[in-house]
Amino acid sequence: MIGSINPVRVLIMMMLATLCACAASTVEVRGSYPSPTIQRIPLTLGVYYSDALRNYTYTERSQTGDDEYYVESGQTHMELFNTVLPAMFENVVLLDDPAQADAMGVDAIFMPSIDEFQLGMPQKTRLEAYEVWVKYNMRLTGTDGSYIADWVMTAYGNATVGGLSTAESGINDAAVAALRDLASNFSISFTAVPDVRDWLARRT
Amino acid sequence: MNTTRKGCTLAHCRIWPALCVLLLAGLSACTSTTIDEFRQAETGISHDETVVILGRRQGAGYETAADFVQCVGDRMGRGRDGLSVVPEQQFVDALFPWFEPRTAPLRSDDLQQLMAQPMVSEKMSQFGIRYIVWLDGQTETTNRMGSISCTVGPGGGGCFGFGSWEDDSSFEARIWDVSSHTAVGTISADANGQSYMPAVFVPIPLLARVEANACNSLADQLKLFVQGG
Repeated sequence: MIGSINPVRVLIMMMLATLCACAASTVEVRGSYPSPTIQRIPLTLGVYYSDALRNYTYTERSQTGDDEYYVESGQTHMELFNTVLPAMFENVVLLDDPAQADAMGVDAIFMPSIDEFQLGMPQKTRLEAYEVWVKYNMRLTGTDGSYIADWVMTAYGNATVGGLSTAESGINDAAVAALRDLASNFSISFTAVPDVRDWLARRT
Repeated sequence: MNTTRKGCTLAHCRIWPALCVLLLAGLSACTSTTIDEFRQAETGISHDETVVILGRRQGAGYETAADFVQCVGDRMGRGRDGLSVVPEQQFVDALFPWFEPRTAPLRSDDLQQLMAQPMVSEKMSQFGIRYIVWLDGQTETTNRMGSISCTVGPGGGGCFGFGSWEDDSSFEARIWDVSSHTAVGTISADANGQSYMPAVFVPIPLLARVEANACNSLADQLKLFVQGG
C-alpha cells in the first residue's frame, strides 16, 4: 500500500493544506433580534438599503498586513432593521429604489449606512473578549429626497473568550451584541433626535 | 444580618492520609462564604407571583456572568418551597429594549418611570413579576503560585510540581419590589478559597468551589428574603 502513494500528490496536498491555513476566514454574522416593546408611530415608513449596506464586509488584517477575517454583516443588518422598524411604525415598506417612494405612499424614507466598523481581537487588545464597534449614519428624507434628519449612532458589543469556542463564533457573538445595542438605542432614541422630533410634531 | 459559612476542614485527614488524598481529589478545597443582608421593607410572595434575576452589565471593567445569574435562579427555583423564577434571557427579550446594558433602569425610581409605560407594565403583569433582583459582581483569581512541568517521552510521561491560586467571589443582589416600585433590600455574598494542584506523575486538582458556594448561599438567602423570612 505504501508503495502506491504518489509523492507528487502528497506534496500538492501539503501545499494546499499550507495555503488553506494561510487563507482568511469569512464570518457571516448570524443572529436573531427581538422585536421592541414600544409604542408605534402612526406613519408609513419607506426603507431603502443601499448596495453598500447590503454587501457590507469588514476586513480584519493581521499584524503583518495580511487579510485575516472577512466579517460579512449586510444581511444581518437588514434582518435587524426588518425586525425593529415594523415595531416602531404603523406600516413599513421596503423600497428597491428611493424614487418609488411617492408611488408607494410612504411618509418618509429611512436610509441607514455603516460609516465605520472596528473589531477588537483578544490577541491584539490583550483582553479576554472579542469586541465590535460600529458607527452608523442614519438618514431620514422626504419622498422627494428633501432633508428631514441625518444623525450618527454608535454601537458596541463584546463576547467573552470561551474555552472551546472559535474566533469565528467570538466575532459573530460580539457583532450580534453590537447590533442588539444598536437596536435598543435606535428604537428608544429615535423620537428624541431633534430633527425627527420636529418632523413628527408636524406629521402626527 | 451577617452569616459566615465554612466549607470542609483538613483536620480530619490525619489518620488515613492516602484515603484523604483520594477523597480530596474528588471533593474540593476549603472555601469561606460571608452573607450580609440589609432589609429596607417587608417582603412576601404569593404562588402566582414570580421573580426575575438580572445581571448588571453596565460596568466597563466586568460584566456579571450569565452562568452565575442562571445558577442563582436555578437554585431559587429548587425544592418544595422553590420560587417561580423567570429565565433572564426570556424576560430581557420580551421587554426589549428596556433591560439592555445601555438602557436598563439603574435606580428603583427609574423603574417607576418605566412602569408608567402601558406596554411595559402589561408585559410585567403577563410574567407575574413581583421582584426584580439585580446581581452585580464577579469572581477574581489572584495569588497564583508554583509551577507544574510535564514531560512525555517514548517510555511514558508524567508531571511534577505544585500550583495554587486563590479565588475571590464578590456579588451583590439588590431586590426591587415591582408592586411598590421600591428597593426592598440588598444581600451581598463574599466567598473565597484556595485551590491546590499537586502533581506527582498525575496532576490532582483540589479546587475550591468558590463561585458555586457564593451562588448557593446567595440563592438560599434571597429565597428566604423574598418569602419574608
